[in-house]
Amino acid sequence: MKQKRMRGSTATVAVLCLLAALFLVPVVIVVINSFKSRFYISGAPFELPNSETFVGLENYINGLTSSGFLAAFGRSLFITVCSVALIVICTSMTAWYIVRVKSRFTKVLYYLFVFSMIVPFQMVMYTMTYVVNAINFDNVVGIVFIYLGFGAGLSVFMLSGFIKSIPLEIEEAATIDGCNAPQAFFMVVFPILKPTAITVAILNAMWVWNDYLLPYLILGTRNKTVPVAIQLAMQGAYGSTDYGGLMAMLVLAIIPIIIFYLSAQKYIIKGVIAGAVKG
Amino acid sequence: MASITLKNIVKTYENGVTVIPDLNLEIKDKEFIILVGPSGCGKSTTLRMIAGLEDVSSGELYIGDRLVNDVPPKDRDIAMVFQSYALYPHMTVYKNMAFALTLRKEPREEIDRKVREAARILDIEQYLNRKPKALSGGQRQRVALGRAMVRNPSVFLLDEPLSNLDAKLRTEMRTQIARLHRNLQTTFVYVTHDQTEAMTMADRIVVMKDGVIQQIDTPKNLYRHPCNMFVAGFVGTPQINFITATLREQNGQRCVCFENYAIPLPERMQSDEALGRYMDSEVVYAIRPEDFHADCRRRASGASNAVELRVDLAEMMGSEIYIYSRLAKSNIIAKISSNEQIKSGSTVDLYIDLDRPHIFDKESGLLICD
Repeated sequence: MKQKRMRGSTATVAVLCLLAALFLVPVVIVVINSFKSRFYISGAPFELPNSETFVGLENYINGLTSSGFLAAFGRSLFITVCSVALIVICTSMTAWYIVRVKSRFTKVLYYLFVFSMIVPFQMVMYTMTYVVNAINFDNVVGIVFIYLGFGAGLSVFMLSGFIKSIPLEIEEAATIDGCNAPQAFFMVVFPILKPTAITVAILNAMWVWNDYLLPYLILGTRNKTVPVAIQLAMQGAYGSTDYGGLMAMLVLAIIPIIIFYLSAQKYIIKGVIAGAVKG
Repeated sequence: MASITLKNIVKTYENGVTVIPDLNLEIKDKEFIILVGPSGCGKSTTLRMIAGLEDVSSGELYIGDRLVNDVPPKDRDIAMVFQSYALYPHMTVYKNMAFALTLRKEPREEIDRKVREAARILDIEQYLNRKPKALSGGQRQRVALGRAMVRNPSVFLLDEPLSNLDAKLRTEMRTQIARLHRNLQTTFVYVTHDQTEAMTMADRIVVMKDGVIQQIDTPKNLYRHPCNMFVAGFVGTPQINFITATLREQNGQRCVCFENYAIPLPERMQSDEALGRYMDSEVVYAIRPEDFHADCRRRASGASNAVELRVDLAEMMGSEIYIYSRLAKSNIIAKISSNEQIKSGSTVDLYIDLDRPHIFDKESGLLICD
């Protein structure tokens, strides 16, 4: 029996390892090719760099200096940090209000947020672009508010699921201790929300950082973000695309989000479980 | 230190349900009062109204001389201990206890002194740097008490603070809370559904049912002189026995008659005018479990106080045995000394203490005499 179980678990581990490897293959290929000369990338993409093909950091220097990548990187960073901060603060307050104030209005509000999750972006993108242009939100500050709108649905849904599990008595104790509503939220509720808030932050950061379509529609090629910059680099005339630089840009684009994810991953597990079980 | 006065308090929720129809209560300064009653009787709602966590629909609520109906909780000079402790999970014990004082912007040295003093009294000094999740239930409850103590409030409100603790710890904490009241000399309002807690700690007990106060009295009076069948049934473990009987006069003596028994009533009831109006009618004869005796020395002359019971179950409790049986179509519990040899399924003669019955009106449940 024990042997059978061990065999089963070994098979599971093997399958999971295979799946993990499959998921990692594209990333590994990008990393390998980022150190290879551009002329060898399309010809032998799966080969490891050798003395002939290895170019050190040349691709990275080229990538960074070309196509305004650094500016795009800074823009992406600004948009991501601001959007995520705004989403986390605004949606956690909204979720708190929705959960704690029981009225028909909050019920409608909640379902509105849930509904917004299932409306495909493509359905609203043209009208939204028109409105955004009309109200002069087609800049790096304006797009932050648009991300708040698109990110609010899932975030409110996740956060309200967790807030339901916070005993109301804790907030009542804070009220008796002398807190007003903002103090009760920021000094008591928000710190308790930390795991779910970080989960929300990670999910939104990954989405905003990697998003191509919305910045392309709103900011166009004037104010490039990293994905737009990479895409434009790929669009170079036939035969002239610097794949080495492109690979280096891809690696550089992945690094910040991986660092953020790894530093906060213990919370994402807690937060997802909290949302799943208590929601 | 403050008294609390509730005048014609009504609590109606938005859905139209009235949980407190008209409540009047005077709590004296420094008194330890316990609100007790079954779930949904309005005791916690009353406490929450005193705390300011629930609005008063109508009526007047005073803490001291101040009308506090519209005063926010933080300005009522109260502290509350919750059933679930309600500690802030992200703060250490020290910060939990210091939180209210920090909000009041008290000097840091003063906060430190108060927190350490409370921690010393409650014996939680060694846990000050721990987070609540690293504490046991009893320790958490002591932190919750400490958090209330440091504020030095006029009124302490405790909402079923011991319900989440195990039996042994509950007994320990009961003593600690009683001692705390003695030392702090503050008004304590305590809510519980556990009548043992109420009986052991309170100066006065308020028994509530369906939002209505049934009786307010000292634990002893409540036990000895319950005003109705609800109070009689609620106070005392095991529960008092209710036997439906007919009040008759036999051999010039008032007796309660059920089955083939005629149990004489005590001397004080023989000439009771109120009881006289129930002659030849059905009443409820109530007798506490400990007023049954197995010792034949308790037999009255002519064995007029003897009842023969078939023991359905004999529960050995250590110093006593609980005998479960039926008498006059009612379930009966008798509490007798464990020195007696009694087995389930056997038949036993028990002697009723003739001096200790309560007689209730069968229809209204109100006390006729005791």
